[in-house]
Amino acid sequence: MILAAANNAAGNAADATRQVLWNISHAWVMYALLVPTMLIFGRGVYRQVKKWRAGRPVQRFDRPGERIKRVVRHVLLQQATLRDRFAGAYHFLLFWGMITLTIATTVVLIHHDLGLPVMQGRFYLYFQSLFVDCLGLLAMVGVAMLAVRRWIVRPKKLVPTRESTGLLVLLFVILGTGFLLEGWRIAATNDPWGRWSPVGSIVAAGSLAVANVETLKSAHLFTWWFHLLIVFGLIAWAPYTKLLHVLTAPLNIYTANLDAGGGTLKTIDFDNAPSFGINSLEQFTWKDLLDLDACTECGRCTSVCPANTVGKQLSPRDLILDMQHLLDRSDLASVSGPADADDDYEPAFPVIGSTAALSPEALWQCTSCAACVEACPVSIEQLPKIIDLRRFEVMENAKFPQTLQDAVGSLEERGHPFKGTQFSRVDWAQALHTQGFDVPTIGDVQDPEVLLWAGCGGALVERNQKSTQALAQLLSKAGVKYAILGREETCTGDPARRIGNEFLFETLAQQNIETFRTNNIRTVVTSCPHCFNTFRNEYPRLGGEFEVMHHTTFLAKLIGEGRLTINAEATEKITFHDPCYLGRHNGITEPPRELLQRSARAPLIEMAQHGQQSFCCGGGGGMSFVDEAPDQRVNQERARQALATDAETVAVGCPFCTTMLEDGINAVKGDREMAVKDIAEIIWESVSGGVDSG
Amino acid sequence: MQILVCLKQILDPEVPPRDFQIDRGRRAAIQGSANLVTNIFCENALETALQLRERSEGEISALSIGPASAEDVLRKAIALKVDHACLVEQEVAGSGSHSAITARLLAAAIRKLGTFDLILLGREAGDWGAGQTGGLLAEELGLPFVGFVDHIEAADGGVVLRRQTDTGWEKVRAELPLVATITNSEENVPRIPKTRDIMKSHRKPLTTWKPSDLGLSEEDVSSAADALEVVDLYIPEKTGECEFIQGESIEEKANAFAARIAAVVQRAGV
Repeated sequence: MILAAANNAAGNAADATRQVLWNISHAWVMYALLVPTMLIFGRGVYRQVKKWRAGRPVQRFDRPGERIKRVVRHVLLQQATLRDRFAGAYHFLLFWGMITLTIATTVVLIHHDLGLPVMQGRFYLYFQSLFVDCLGLLAMVGVAMLAVRRWIVRPKKLVPTRESTGLLVLLFVILGTGFLLEGWRIAATNDPWGRWSPVGSIVAAGSLAVANVETLKSAHLFTWWFHLLIVFGLIAWAPYTKLLHVLTAPLNIYTANLDAGGGTLKTIDFDNAPSFGINSLEQFTWKDLLDLDACTECGRCTSVCPANTVGKQLSPRDLILDMQHLLDRSDLASVSGPADADDDYEPAFPVIGSTAALSPEALWQCTSCAACVEACPVSIEQLPKIIDLRRFEVMENAKFPQTLQDAVGSLEERGHPFKGTQFSRVDWAQALHTQGFDVPTIGDVQDPEVLLWAGCGGALVERNQKSTQALAQLLSKAGVKYAILGREETCTGDPARRIGNEFLFETLAQQNIETFRTNNIRTVVTSCPHCFNTFRNEYPRLGGEFEVMHHTTFLAKLIGEGRLTINAEATEKITFHDPCYLGRHNGITEPPRELLQRSARAPLIEMAQHGQQSFCCGGGGGMSFVDEAPDQRVNQERARQALATDAETVAVGCPFCTTMLEDGINAVKGDREMAVKDIAEIIWESVSGGVDSG
Repeated sequence: MQILVCLKQILDPEVPPRDFQIDRGRRAAIQGSANLVTNIFCENALETALQLRERSEGEISALSIGPASAEDVLRKAIALKVDHACLVEQEVAGSGSHSAITARLLAAAIRKLGTFDLILLGREAGDWGAGQTGGLLAEELGLPFVGFVDHIEAADGGVVLRRQTDTGWEKVRAELPLVATITNSEENVPRIPKTRDIMKSHRKPLTTWKPSDLGLSEEDVSSAADALEVVDLYIPEKTGECEFIQGESIEEKANAFAARIAAVVQRAGV
């Protein structure tokens, strides 16, 4: 009603507009100031672009459709950012507020400087006045929330810096003076359309109550230039601050690695690479370097890092930021061409050991769980960089923790990482044989439907032999024509690759690919998500193309097809621990849950961190071969999370998770009882229904 | 200082117990699915040599006697940057069980290779565990011998060797040349080669001789062969019996238990 009345009083809405640069003379000074502003801005951006371009090539502009979708999801809709509710909310408000205000300024530019009269009529009223005003107000709300978080809540993951304080103050001043200018203009010009700008009209009314029109005009003039200087100042300064992410974040999200999380490690050209692994900034790809400049210091990576959670030194955020600072100080363009491959490699901008976050100790704490990569709202890939640095330590420096050396040595000598195991690869099958159950080996079966890949963890660790036996019995019960490789099986190379011995990984992989080819294997089922991931995401590049299924997917399929029947539902309360290499690295979170829901009576209990946001058992990335300090054990932390539920059993789908969690639970459970079972064991209990195998 | 390190390739001592097989007739272990590896104490010896070369000038030569597969242990030594490597290719009688023949062949090869200040061997091999070759080699070469050494320091033209004993360490000052066997310690944990050096190791020269190249007469070898004979080789059988002690009271059970232990001990002749 009020608006309608205002319309009538002012005349036809089609004529609505406002005078640009009202009250401002010498507008040329603004244009003159714009030149140095843009020069400083441009220099800042160009300086960084030049640094990224010094990185090595990588293809990140293919599949534009998928990339645009990613930008829509994570830039426009801010899906990843919004996962942290409070921070996500204010960022969303600031993001859309600032974009709207920029569009509004562009409208003024088109209207006034290009002489295209767009800023008028209903567009002026609905968009330029009402909508922009509201969004500006929401941006102010965003700034207020930001201030509350930075100065009052102060979450541990945020590191207070002068720069972030400065940026926050500048944003507040720009938005605040913007509203003052709008209000004073409305008041001083008695703008008939002023009511379409709600915040502006409130400021106008308030100002008129304490000052006269002449005073407001003077204040407007002064504040207009002040506002302009602050805005130009911020634009010029932005590329030298973390505000650069306004440009780098969308670019980084667009150029993200689109492969499954578990397939993002780089390959090495062993004939030509100047170094095996990376210990100098210019050895990274341009995307790695762009990653460094896309970081907004939000700290989400570090807050989800299992190693950091238990008090270890590793901090993915600090690792990225320290490299960013190193990049700032380094003139990458000064590096001459690649060194002769036969010379001892001398890093031009050494990374490893340059700071605490980049120390070898920190690098050897990573479980390669990729929680950091998953949590990053701007698609930074921390994990591949950690592996690049590890590779250098392993292959160029030959310096890494002794227990990992033992695992690598065992892989070299024996094709498995379990130095000192008392078991052979077929002991689990021979034990079944003594119970009258035969596990067929590849030579015994004509054209098997699937190859059952036991994996080193499933065959050589006593605890997991039970899971592997359950799986073999299930396959047999379902009438699946399957076979095992037996002694011909050798490690997929996953631990070698995660530890950083890419050379050994390739050797082992090629050996397996050859074995598969010789035996004409087309489908592989495995209970080890590490083997699964390596087969699925890493073998195709080496020529190993075959179908691979995690046993939970395969068992769900068998039950779905009616080839397996649940005879007795499990009666215990169960929670499921998502293995990182199944859930986060490969997005498989539903088949195991489906299986558990079908085979258990009680509804599945979820831990606080589950699915793609699950918390690592501590055993990935070679870390199951490392002795952790007694008070810094990742498996115990996960065990506590499991014990916090009222489940009686933790179901797992990974031999490494099984042993890590069992050890962890035994260490911290106190009087509470909690079993750890592989899903295959639970399903076998349900399928065999208490009846003995046979 | 010219250092020579003897390296032996053996069956992986970590082969799972159930996989370990022997040929009782040939009195030899069967390789089966087991891998061939460098004997760990030989690796400790090589590490000791590498550290010694880092601290004082010198060259390292690596020498192995064994089948063609033993080239692997020498390639690995080359990857660790030994200066020279030599393989005496021989299907060793009794799969390397005959320390006296091995020592005689090693001595002949060493004489042919040149003169060395320090000759290092592992204290024993992980296959037969005889621990004889070092001492026999010193005898063959007519050199002094120090066993169970875990640290060597060059000093005044000679060396100071630290050797492990049942009660602690002994430090021995010795003139060169000499033969020493090396045992493991925290300091001589074998290093691992750099990947690039592994790749390059296959392009480096390797001297390969047959035993006939060593200038030994048949009599030389047979006289060494006579010094030692493996009479039998078998895997000890582990058996277990379970017996429940009967008795009314706890005292009665305890007495019966003690009596039973005494009987078993007596039967075993302890």
